[in-house]
Amino acid sequence: MEFSSTAAAKKTDSVMGDGEYAKFCEFFYRKTGIHFQEGKKYYVERRIIDRIEKTRSTSFRDYFTMLRFQASGEELQFLVNSMTVNETYFFREDYQFDALVNHILPNVARTKQRGAPIRIWSIPCSSGEEPYSIAINILERWNLADSWNIEIHASDIDTKILAEARSGIFGERSLSRVSSQLRSKYFSPRANGDYQICDALRDSIDFSLVNVVDPMQTRRFRDFDIIFCRNLLIYFDDVGRRETVEMFFDVLGAGGFVCLGHSESMSRMSSIFLPRKFGETIVYQKPLSAE
Amino acid sequence: MALVRASQTIRPPQEAAAQDLPAVLADLASPDASVRRAAARSLAAHPEGAMAACDQLEKETSPSVRAVLFTTLIHLQTPKVAERLSALLRSDDTPLRNAAIEALQEMPEAAASVLQSLLKDENSDVRIFAVNIIGALRHPQAPEWLGRVIRTDEHINVCAAAVDGLAEIGGTESLDDLEELRRRFKDNAFMNFAIDAAISRIRGL
Repeated sequence: MEFSSTAAAKKTDSVMGDGEYAKFCEFFYRKTGIHFQEGKKYYVERRIIDRIEKTRSTSFRDYFTMLRFQASGEELQFLVNSMTVNETYFFREDYQFDALVNHILPNVARTKQRGAPIRIWSIPCSSGEEPYSIAINILERWNLADSWNIEIHASDIDTKILAEARSGIFGERSLSRVSSQLRSKYFSPRANGDYQICDALRDSIDFSLVNVVDPMQTRRFRDFDIIFCRNLLIYFDDVGRRETVEMFFDVLGAGGFVCLGHSESMSRMSSIFLPRKFGETIVYQKPLSAE
Repeated sequence: MALVRASQTIRPPQEAAAQDLPAVLADLASPDASVRRAAARSLAAHPEGAMAACDQLEKETSPSVRAVLFTTLIHLQTPKVAERLSALLRSDDTPLRNAAIEALQEMPEAAASVLQSLLKDENSDVRIFAVNIIGALRHPQAPEWLGRVIRTDEHINVCAAAVDGLAEIGGTESLDDLEELRRRFKDNAFMNFAIDAAISRIRGL
């Protein structure tokens, strides 16, 4: 089906047939690792219609041609930004932060060479709540924090959400689990009711644009100790999950840890990591003697 | 100390030329597992290197390199690759065998032909593995293949594995075959229990 105006697009229920939808999903999967099933057609199509309007394309076919062959890749980035879900908040799934300060970091510190930095990667970092939560937990709750140089890297595939993360401005909903004591220590209130995270924390986190399925972009991440990758792999298919956790294996140093979301289990993706139960959560460790 | 800005310590992304196949194959023979792992991953861009990946799988000892080789072979899947992987079902190395089963489950079209052959294998263990693969295979004919197993295979364990598979992927068209199987093994309590469970699931009870 084709249409020639924005108004027409709004009235149209469907701009792509099932074959075109399948073709688009295959393309998007190849570029991002994100796998949309048939049941997601409405969700995907709403966003494509929006991008068709914004780019003044005349049809899905016209838009898809531009998407595939645009040299800059700019439109693909816009589309990725609109397709990704970024809902999160501070201290989400906080039992993993308990495991971080009570078990994972002490484990890392026991085997880590003195003087080498402890490296943590938050991917996808969304609007920044996760990497900032990691930072606050470490500063507040790990008694050896001052004895180590700790690097926190935070990456996402969505440029718009990365800009939000860098700005460090959060609304009440995002901060609902942050105590007033921590708010006054690490945030300053803004006139509109939002909060701005302090410069010291904002400047300590290294934000970067990374597509996890692009080996060119991930190969620079090496010798990491801990990876937080929560609620990303649920959007991937089986092969995409395998590839991503195998990439994590290369990113981590021996004995490094991966923390996944509560509904994600490494055992259904790969057997190359060792499950470790810490408190109320299971995390996954690259063997110390890993080849 | 504590938190430090990290941007000075991570190299910016660099364009790297794709390795040609001889260079990748040379790396695959490296004594360093991380080099072999990278080579195994690079092989995914070289369909003509699929058999080399299969060869390496048969001698590779590092679990992490093996894992990447399997992922690469899933990418490169062809009937020939599926055939090579099916040979690993006879391996005494359990992790290798299980990984081969998982990989074959990811290549429904490529594995279809070899799985049909495996269902006729004289070794009942191999037939059970084939049935297990089919039970998790995203192939429209998978229920039909399992139906044929319970109609024709004489080994009770092979049939029981197929009943388990049909409980997951079977439809109402499997019900007659299941009842017929019950008659064939009418004195076996476990088979009766498995058939009842499968029928209940198929009927959504």
